[in-house]
Amino acid sequence: MNFLELFDQDLISSVLRALIPILLAALGGMLAERVGIFNIGLEGMILVGAFSGVAASFFTNNWLVGTIVAMICGALFSLILGYGAVYRKGDPIVLAIAMNILAVGMTSFLIVAMFGVQGVFQDPGIDGIPVWRIPVLADIPWIGALFALTPLGYLALILVPVLWVVLFRTPLGMRLRGVGERPLAAATMGVNPQHYQLGAVIASGALAGLGGAQLALGNVVQFTENMSAGRGWIAVVAVMLARAHPVGVLGAALLFGFIDAIGFRLQSFGLPQQLTDAGPYVVTLLVLIVLSSRLRKTRDAVLT
Amino acid sequence: MSALHRIGRWFMGPIPISVLLALLIGACFMLVAGVDPLSGYSAMLKGSFGSGAGLANTLQRAIPIIGMGIAIAVAFRAGVLNLGVEGQAGLGALAGGIVAIYVPGPAILIVPLAFIVAIATGAAWGLLAGLLQNLWGVPVLLSTLLLNYPARYFASWMIRFELNAKDTDMVASDQVRPEVQLSMLVPRDSAFAETLRNSLGPTNPITAILTGVNWSLVIVILVVLGAIFMNRRTRFGFESGLSGQNPEFVRYSGVKPGPLVLRTMALSGGLAGMFGLMVIIGAPNTRLIEGAFIQTNYAWTALLVTLLALYRPVGIVIAGLFFAAIMVGSDAMGRELGLSPQIAAVIQALVIILLAFRVTIPWLRKRKSKASDDPPFAEPEHLSDPRLAVVETNTSKESER
Repeated sequence: MNFLELFDQDLISSVLRALIPILLAALGGMLAERVGIFNIGLEGMILVGAFSGVAASFFTNNWLVGTIVAMICGALFSLILGYGAVYRKGDPIVLAIAMNILAVGMTSFLIVAMFGVQGVFQDPGIDGIPVWRIPVLADIPWIGALFALTPLGYLALILVPVLWVVLFRTPLGMRLRGVGERPLAAATMGVNPQHYQLGAVIASGALAGLGGAQLALGNVVQFTENMSAGRGWIAVVAVMLARAHPVGVLGAALLFGFIDAIGFRLQSFGLPQQLTDAGPYVVTLLVLIVLSSRLRKTRDAVLT
Repeated sequence: MSALHRIGRWFMGPIPISVLLALLIGACFMLVAGVDPLSGYSAMLKGSFGSGAGLANTLQRAIPIIGMGIAIAVAFRAGVLNLGVEGQAGLGALAGGIVAIYVPGPAILIVPLAFIVAIATGAAWGLLAGLLQNLWGVPVLLSTLLLNYPARYFASWMIRFELNAKDTDMVASDQVRPEVQLSMLVPRDSAFAETLRNSLGPTNPITAILTGVNWSLVIVILVVLGAIFMNRRTRFGFESGLSGQNPEFVRYSGVKPGPLVLRTMALSGGLAGMFGLMVIIGAPNTRLIEGAFIQTNYAWTALLVTLLALYRPVGIVIAGLFFAAIMVGSDAMGRELGLSPQIAAVIQALVIILLAFRVTIPWLRKRKSKASDDPPFAEPEHLSDPRLAVVETNTSKESER
């Protein structure tokens, strides 16, 4: 077994594949975190996005419609958390736990009700998201993989600097952060914190929905029961580790994408799938331990 | 206020209304699936309560839900958000199940040994999360969630590669030996069972329950009573209840939060492991089947039950029976009408969501004073709901570090 074989050019594209759904969801979680709402409902939002994206793409045979529907359904689903936590004063953790269970139940129920199959829904009628290769750039060795992504892949990567600018260099971002850090002060300034909180949660649902679309229409072209498989939790950890900073979120998502991709490759060296599947979660825990001093300083470490 | 009046008010309160609304939304899902909701719900009711067998099934299913619900409540009450009961119960079931299936010896020795191993394994997996928090400040909420996945994959690997039996097409271990299996309250082939069948009839609910529910019923009753006793009468219960509400105060009065977290996690995980094992050795001819324990969804249903009951043992019993009935009913409805039994999870989760929304009957709310309406800039966290105490109390952990 030659371990150098693990690190070839294809690795970068597999890392990117694994990373993009997590990154999209984590960016969403970051926005919610910034307005002071701890969103652990990402897992369910991804799943809802994945299901609705596949369903819409199946009925219209159009990936773009599927993607947009996934985004809208993710946003609508996140209203449960947004409306409940902001306007009904429900506990975000309780709401999000119930949402995650609801998402699993709802999608597993609907896959049987709508398509008459159990477990996996696969059909040639589902239009997958195409890969947009940028000519010339995509042929560069090693970094070429960065230029052969799905539209959602480009979107996710571009959103990192865009959200950084929005958060730290625009009045909108200042108000968002103000709402999260000092709601009363923001309210005195004439900002309605509830509007910003609801808006941020809806945005996080939309982004997680897109993450689900990438998972079910980009990485594969099918819907599998419970296919988010913990990616939402990893996104939550990414937000916490990064202290809700876009660049940090990218870093954390990169790490998890890398472990996911390496694990997948180790299977070809004879490691059982079950052990490599556990990799991302174990490494996430290890990272949490290593960076615990950092975590402690976070306002959110408070949410023990 | 008279008792009757109070019961009347309860029925107009948030819980019945949330349940009713959740059932209405569930009906919409049935309509989407092209099923008449009335026949759907009647199939559900018939399946869970309509026959003696259904009743016994509901009771048997409620046992692990109530047991794991108590395990979760023990932790939540102390402000320790243990979301890893799935992993703790799953590993307990695996380890205890391996002892029950593969260790030779008389049942009188093997069964207690299996229990000890299951409890120890569950407790160890729970303790791990407690240690991660105490030593490195990794929040229990996150570590328990993440630890579910290695547990799940390890169990699946173990069954597939180490235990896989040749005599079956399933990825599964050997069968539990009949003598190790938990016996029914009244064994089916005993003379007393025969008398029951003859005097009451074979489908009578009493016959069905006594011959269809195993001894884990007694264990769960003891655990519930134990939890009530612990909460009300013991020092540990008092301290953990207080630290769930106000950790600052508890620390001030000399309780160390670290050991409290460890003891709580060990207790919670141990209970989860025990009820995990009883799922395995509770039914005839069970095997350890890959992924089967996760599919039962007991752990997550138990979590919803605990949230519904606000960690109160008696509430958990009632809510657990109710949610078990929904599960059994959904299975029956699924078989009868070709639907997915997952409708149970939909209805259960909706109950919790609607409850968190604090839905009330509009005219009842109007009568309350307007002053209670919150100002527009109030923060999302608030004090009135005991459930929130969990989140709130943790805010003060910051100063501890």
